[in-house]
This record gives sequence, C-alpha cells and structure tokens, in this order.
Amino acid sequence: MFTSDLIRPFLRTHGRILTVDLLDETDSYWLQTALELITLFQGHLGMEQANWEKSLEAYEGTRIDYLRIRGLARVLTSAATFAPKAFPHQPRDLRARLFCRGPAFENPDMFHPLSRQDVLQEVAGELGMTAEDLDKALFADHPGAHVLTYVGPAWTPQQLLQRYNLEISRGALYRAIVVQVEIYDHFKEMWRYLKLFKLMYAAKELPDGGYQLRLSGPLSDFVETDRYGVAFAEFFPALLLGDRWSLVARAKPHTRQGGKEQPVSMLPQDDLLLYRLDHTCGLHSHYRRGREYDSALERTFASEFEDFEEKFGETRGKWRLIREEQVLVLDGAVMIPDFQLVHTQDEQRRILVELVGFWSPRYLKNKIAKVQAARCPNLLLLVYESLKVTREDFGEIEGELIFFKEKPVIKDVMAAVEVLAEKLYGPAPMPKQEAPPLLADILSRCNLFQGAEEAVWHSLEDLGTLLQQSETAFAPRRYGYPSLSALVKGYPDLFEIRRGNRKGRPLEVHVLSQRIPIAFPIIPQKEE
Amino acid sequence: MVPVMDKRLYFHGGTLVLEGISRDEKQIPSSFLWSHGKWRTEAYHYASLLPWLRENAIRDTLPRWQPLNYTLYDGRQPHDYQAEALVAWQKAGYRGCIVLPTGAGKSYIAIRAIHHLNRSAVIVAPTIDLLHQWYRLLSHAFHEDIGVYYGAEKMIQPITVTTYASFGNLMGECGNFFRILLADEVHHLPSPVYSEGALMSPAIARLGLTATYPSEEEQQGEGRRRLDLLLGGPIVYALNIDDLAGERLAAYRTERIRVRLTPDERQHYDCDFTACMDFVKQRNLLRQYGANWLRELHRLSAKDRAARAALLARQRVSRLLAGCQGKLQAVDDLLREHVTEQVLIFTESNAVAYAISQRYLLPVLTHLSTAAERKDILDGFQEKRYRAIVTSRILDEGVDLPSAKIAIILGGTTGARQYIQRLGRVLRRAENKQAVLYEVLVRDTSEEGKVQRRRAATLRQGEQHVYVRPD
Repeated sequence: MFTSDLIRPFLRTHGRILTVDLLDETDSYWLQTALELITLFQGHLGMEQANWEKSLEAYEGTRIDYLRIRGLARVLTSAATFAPKAFPHQPRDLRARLFCRGPAFENPDMFHPLSRQDVLQEVAGELGMTAEDLDKALFADHPGAHVLTYVGPAWTPQQLLQRYNLEISRGALYRAIVVQVEIYDHFKEMWRYLKLFKLMYAAKELPDGGYQLRLSGPLSDFVETDRYGVAFAEFFPALLLGDRWSLVARAKPHTRQGGKEQPVSMLPQDDLLLYRLDHTCGLHSHYRRGREYDSALERTFASEFEDFEEKFGETRGKWRLIREEQVLVLDGAVMIPDFQLVHTQDEQRRILVELVGFWSPRYLKNKIAKVQAARCPNLLLLVYESLKVTREDFGEIEGELIFFKEKPVIKDVMAAVEVLAEKLYGPAPMPKQEAPPLLADILSRCNLFQGAEEAVWHSLEDLGTLLQQSETAFAPRRYGYPSLSALVKGYPDLFEIRRGNRKGRPLEVHVLSQRIPIAFPIIPQKEE
Repeated sequence: MVPVMDKRLYFHGGTLVLEGISRDEKQIPSSFLWSHGKWRTEAYHYASLLPWLRENAIRDTLPRWQPLNYTLYDGRQPHDYQAEALVAWQKAGYRGCIVLPTGAGKSYIAIRAIHHLNRSAVIVAPTIDLLHQWYRLLSHAFHEDIGVYYGAEKMIQPITVTTYASFGNLMGECGNFFRILLADEVHHLPSPVYSEGALMSPAIARLGLTATYPSEEEQQGEGRRRLDLLLGGPIVYALNIDDLAGERLAAYRTERIRVRLTPDERQHYDCDFTACMDFVKQRNLLRQYGANWLRELHRLSAKDRAARAALLARQRVSRLLAGCQGKLQAVDDLLREHVTEQVLIFTESNAVAYAISQRYLLPVLTHLSTAAERKDILDGFQEKRYRAIVTSRILDEGVDLPSAKIAIILGGTTGARQYIQRLGRVLRRAENKQAVLYEVLVRDTSEEGKVQRRRAATLRQGEQHVYVRPD
C-alpha cells in the first residue's frame, strides 16, 4: 500500500465527486517508463538499497512526472526483498563499543592523543577485524545498507501499471468514513476478507439477488472517523474479485501536507466526498480467488458428497449440492453456510450445511444464536468432536447437529438432512417427472415364497427388506404413506393383514399374489 | 427457542458490547446504542458501567490486565507537592488531571501511580522522542521489559508506551489490556483524532499530566473533545510555576557562530539559490502564498518543468547548507573546546547526523534508532560513557537530559526554532555551571534571513540575550 504522498497528488474533486487520475495502461510512454524502471530495478540485484535510491533519483532527473515514477518504484520495492547482510558482529554492538571512545579527530591533539584511525584500529584489533571493515560495518543494519536479494515477481510493464493504478485507487479510501458496497457473487470470499481486515458490516438483501453491505469499524457508530480507511483500502482488492459489484465511499477531503485538519463534525454533510467505483472500472485485483474449499475438512466433505452423488446417480439423488450461494442476512450481519442442499423436486426445500471444525465454542454459540434470531432453522451443523463441545452446550436449537470424529459420514449427514427437511417442510414431495414404480411390479419381482403350500405371512420388517431388495428406492413415503404398516393397510387389494402370535402381537402381511397385476397406488391428497 | 447465552460484556475494537441482551431490554444505560445486532458503546464508559453490570449479573469478560508486582527501583522520596498530587488524584477516584510546571517531576508521579495501583498501564506521549524517554524512565524504575507501540516498533508489555498518533490503534487492538491510562502532555489529547484513543480505552484509572491545561476554547469546537470527559475527571491538582522558584528552572545562554562557505560551495550556492528564487519571484509565490510558498512550489513541480528545476535547485541548496565544510569545522572546534563537557549536536538531516557520527565516532539518534538503542545511548550519555550525542531529532517538550551542558545546533531553518525555544529545558543548571547553546549559521545565506525573522519573534517572547561570537 502506498503512503499518502504518492496518492494525494492524483486525487481530483469535481464538486463532491472524488476521482483518481489513473495512468493509461496502454500508453506507450508509460509502458516504456515501466519497462525502464523494471530493468533498472532488476539490475540492482545484490546491491544496497541506498544505491537503488540514488539510481532512482538519477532516473527521475528533472522529469516532472517524478511522483508517478516514485509510485511505480514503490510497487517494485514493496514486492521485493531487501535483506540485511550477514555480519560477524552486530553493528549495534560495534557502535556501542566504538562510540564510547569518541569523539576522535582526524588530527590528534593534547586531549585526544589517538586519531580516529588509531581508535578504529584498536577496536578492530580487539574484534579481530580490519579498521576498514569496522568502518564499513558500523551502520550495516540500517535499511540503506540492506541488499536487494529478491526483485519480486517478473513484472510486465502492463502489470506494473495495473498494480500502480490499483494502489492509487485504493489509496483514495484512506480517508473514507464509511463504505457501502453492493455485491452479487463470490460472497464467501468477500466475507472472508472482511473478517481478515476486522471490518464490521451491516448487510441488506437486494431485490435482484445481491447484497448491500455497509462497511465500518467498531467506533464508527459513535464517531465519524477515518481510522478504518486503511482497512477499507486493504479490503478493496477483494471486492475486485467479484464479477459484479459497486462501491460508494464517503470520504474526508485529503488535506495537503501540513494543512490544518478539518474535523468531520465541522464539515457540512455536503463537504464529504463521494468516491464511486464498480466492476467496469478496469482495475485488476492482485488477490487470488480463494481455493475452491476452505479447509481439508471441507474438501473431504465435498468429495464425499460427490461420491454419494455418483453412487446413487443424479436422477435418484434427491438433493443437489450448491456451495456458498445462500447469504443469510441476520439482523444486519451475514452468514454464508458452507453448503446448501436443494431438493431436486422441490426448490423450497433447502438445508444449509455448515462444517464446524475450527472455530471456538464461543464463536459457535454466537453463530447458533444468530441463526435462531433470524428464525432460520434449516441449518445442519456438522461439529468436529475435538472441539470439546457437547450437545448440551448448544442448548435447544432448532437446527440439527451432528458430531463427527474424523470426517463427516455422508450417510449420517443425509439421514439428518431428511429428518430436518421433514420436520421443516413436511413429507417429501413425490417426484414430479415419474411416479414411483407400481407396487405390484415391485412385488412381482420379489421372491415372496408364493410357491409354498400354506399362505406365507411376512413380518413387516421382512416385507420391507424384500421390497427394498427388489427396488432399492422403495419407501412407503413415495406412495404417500408415513410407514410400511400404513401402506399395507392402504392397499387391501394387495395385502392381507393379521396380528401375529409373537410378543406384542406384531402385524403380519400376506401378499395377495393373484391381485398383483391390477394394483394401483392410491395417493392421498397432499395437505396445503 | 432462545439459545442458552449468558449475559456478558466484552471488548471489541475500542467499544463495549453486550451479549445475550435483546433489543427489547428496557434497562440499558443511555450510552448504549443498538447496532449490528448488539448493544454497543464506547469503551471509556466502562468504569461508570461497573455497578450496573454487577446489579444485572452481567458477566464482565473485558479485563485482560494483570497485577504487575514490580519492584520500584526509584528510591527518591517524593516532594511534598508530588505526594499531595497523588493523594488528590486518589481521592478523585483515580480520574483527572495533574497540572505541574515543566521540570517538576511529572514522570515521577506517573511511575508512583503505576506502582501504587499495581496494574497494567498504557502511557501516551506526544512524540517518539518522549516515548523513548518514557521507555527509559520506566525501564529504570521497574527493571522490567517495557512495551513500545508506534509506527516503527510494536511490542506490547504490561506497561506499554505509545504516541498519540498510534494510541487509537493500540486501544483498538488491545485497549482492554490496560487498567491505567496515563496521558503525558495531555493538552494534546482533545484533538479530534487523538481523543478517539481515549474514547476507545476502558481504563478505570485515568491520569492526565501537563504544564499547560488547555483553555475552554482549546477543548471545544472543530471536533475536539473535553479533557474532563476523556479523563473521567477534572483537574485534581495544580501547581503554579511561581510555586517552584529557582533551582529547577533552566539557565542557559545562546551563542551564535557564523561560518563561511568555501569558494566552491559559494559558487554552487549562488547558482542554485538564484535559480530557485528567480522562479519564486517570477511566479510571485511569496506574495501569493506567503509562508506556504514552498508547498506551492512542490505542487507546481509535478506539472511545470521550470518549477521542477527550481525545486531541485532548492533541494541542492538545503543539502549544501546542512552539511557544508564550515559547519563541520565548527563542530570540530567546539568538540575540542569543550573537552570535558557533555555535548548534544543537532543536525537538520539524517545524512549529516550520520556523517558526523562516523567522522567523530559518536553515537547517533535518528528515527531509525530502536527504543533499546536509544536507551543505551541516552543512559550512556548520562553516565558519561558517551561524551556527545548527534541527533537529527527535534527533542520536543519535556525531554530530559540533565547532564547536557553544551548544545550545538547546525541549523537555521525555521524548523529549528521550535527546539531552540525548548532546549533551555534540556540544558539544566548543574554544578553551578551555566549551559551554553551554540547556533551555527552560514554567513550571507538564507539561513541568516530566517534567523532575523525568528529573532523578532523570540524577542517578543522574552528569549535571553544572544551573544554573537566574533569571527
């Protein structure tokens, strides 16, 4: 990030509107300048910083665009490394040792019988070095004596100009008091960067699918302060990661160096400047879009989920996995669950899945409290056991909670998803495209031991197993019944029922085979 | 279902936040406002909220401060007025301001206060030099690691010194580490930006120290905040300068030494000086912009080739004057002349400071010196391990170097004016010897003109007689 002296000269105001005077990234003059600077800088590999500073001053010469040159040079040096030389003796120790012998003069006199050279020689001798080396090493720890050991990335002239433009554009935010952004994608990334730079935000849903975030800091509610301006500027490149976004900042006017600070409260509201940008600004972020997944844990879960989908096939999988799209606006704050499961047949059925593998219990509690305050109970939390929280710690929560040891077991997750979905949305809908296979067809494929002489009576469990062997996706719910016992009672043409002799007198079922070919399911009306 | 959340108060970036208390709650103190889903207020309300927190069984998770249990290695007995001041502050509930004249030992009071309360403390000073001085004083007083927090170094310890400029950031980061807030030269605190740090500090004990309590006007308007609000109390003790007669006040005389440029230097000087001033005159910068003419020249230099050339010429003039042969010779002469005395040498640039340091093998203080090295240099100077110090820093108000007898200022620019006025305080009378301040100027250059202007100003302020050495 630039210091203000490299930014202030390029800020322009037109009435209340603040703009930044960017460099033309295609201008051959600037491309040439950038190229010369890159070459000059790279030529200083292995040389001292003071050396580079002299060369830069010489390069500036009498050019009047020297402030641009300094900015471009700052981009280069910020990405490079100047490292202190390795010294056999710490320069600080050398100074302490030598300077208690001062003052020493070139020509000795009565009170100073030893010349400067004599003193250097003596001390150097004690340290086992030459006077010349000692003289040189005295300030070797200062930045000017640091050596350019890494010249930074291999900039192209265009990249250098792009980065320069980004730096002065974000610099315009240093004096911002509050920043409002509208974002439409890459929510998780933005959120992560907001947290990184410790910014607060109040979020609002926009009618066309985006979110409006009002960014500020802890003190902003009480004082109109620009102390979060640097944090806004730090966040800015994250915003550029989005495909569609806009920003409007209210900023104090930049005072000239040494100018008297005009406090915000004294400024008429109209004197605050407006700085606006959006995704058409042509700036390039140097932040990388985050990895696809946050953590190894998340990655594991995602691959498990993919396995699951593969295994059962897309048409049968009832849930579709979406990552990070749903933003929950909770009393102004934002939460973006890791995954969202959308029911393929009923888009209203949505379960949010959040992996909790690395947060503190306190954070977690806050999170749950938040979710519940927003009456958003369709959240399934997968909690890593080693967090040392228990179910009791969560109190009574509306959402579901699963603990896991190493990685979440997809079977348990899906079961919990089903339970939660049913609790929230009622019985799952019938597939819209295809009705379930006719019960009679399933039964006709079952080995029902119909060849036996006596009528065969099956326990409900056995019948369920037989049906599932024939049709893996068999479930009473698909026929509109909550349980198998309800189902068999609902098809008197197919099943005969009696109470068995065993303890508890469980239901036993006999399949009426002759009726099978003409059986039709009776689907009850779904309650609205 | 309402989640099981205990009611608690925590610290967040200089604010207090209530958790587990809903928006509908009626009995919230009026300083709180509902924002971002929680009740929030500025941290400085903390002390006044403590009874309310207790009554409502709200768990207080804010404090991160700790008992120090440091031994005090300062055996000096307090003066009566110092003891009185401490008692007055104690009776005022450890909140308010103590007003004492410069040289009356305010820092001694601060150290006693910290030792008495025995809890983590943050000390705020106006400049980095004073920060380093506090670092030194506190290190000596407690023989413990003292933290410093400013642009160049950030190390937080139970006792940490910061500058007004970095104060807000430190409070935002870990304001709840410090139960005691000590604001040195507290008349700086009401400014709009600096006062934010005080708003962000939850410190229960708050002490302001100054020789000049700001007037009502200085505490109002333009976004300024009142000191009694920021400190949680008014002046608890004040002592007039007349009450402290004689001995503790500085006594010094000023001698001006005028040196010549070498013929070669003179030629360069005349050439560059003329080049610059011709442009300034031609564009009427002095008449149009007055004291701000240089700023305007800087602005123009990014647009106008002639302005750029004039600015570069001026930079060459400055470099030449700052390190000309004659000035270095004057240093040489004065160092030889004052063979047995402790000497401070002030330069206008780092480059010259390093040049003198290397040439005479003297310790040098610049913005690059760390707190630890500064401490070594200043301690060494007091112990007379180092006979002289070179520095490019303006030693601001309150910097304390009692053993210095001789100060040499290689200056002339208006920037030097501030420290000349304050150096009298650095040079204290000891062993019945008067301190001497040498001001070294280059003859027949712009430096003399500046001195003329300054003299008019300082005479009005009653500066002591200036003696000009004959050549």
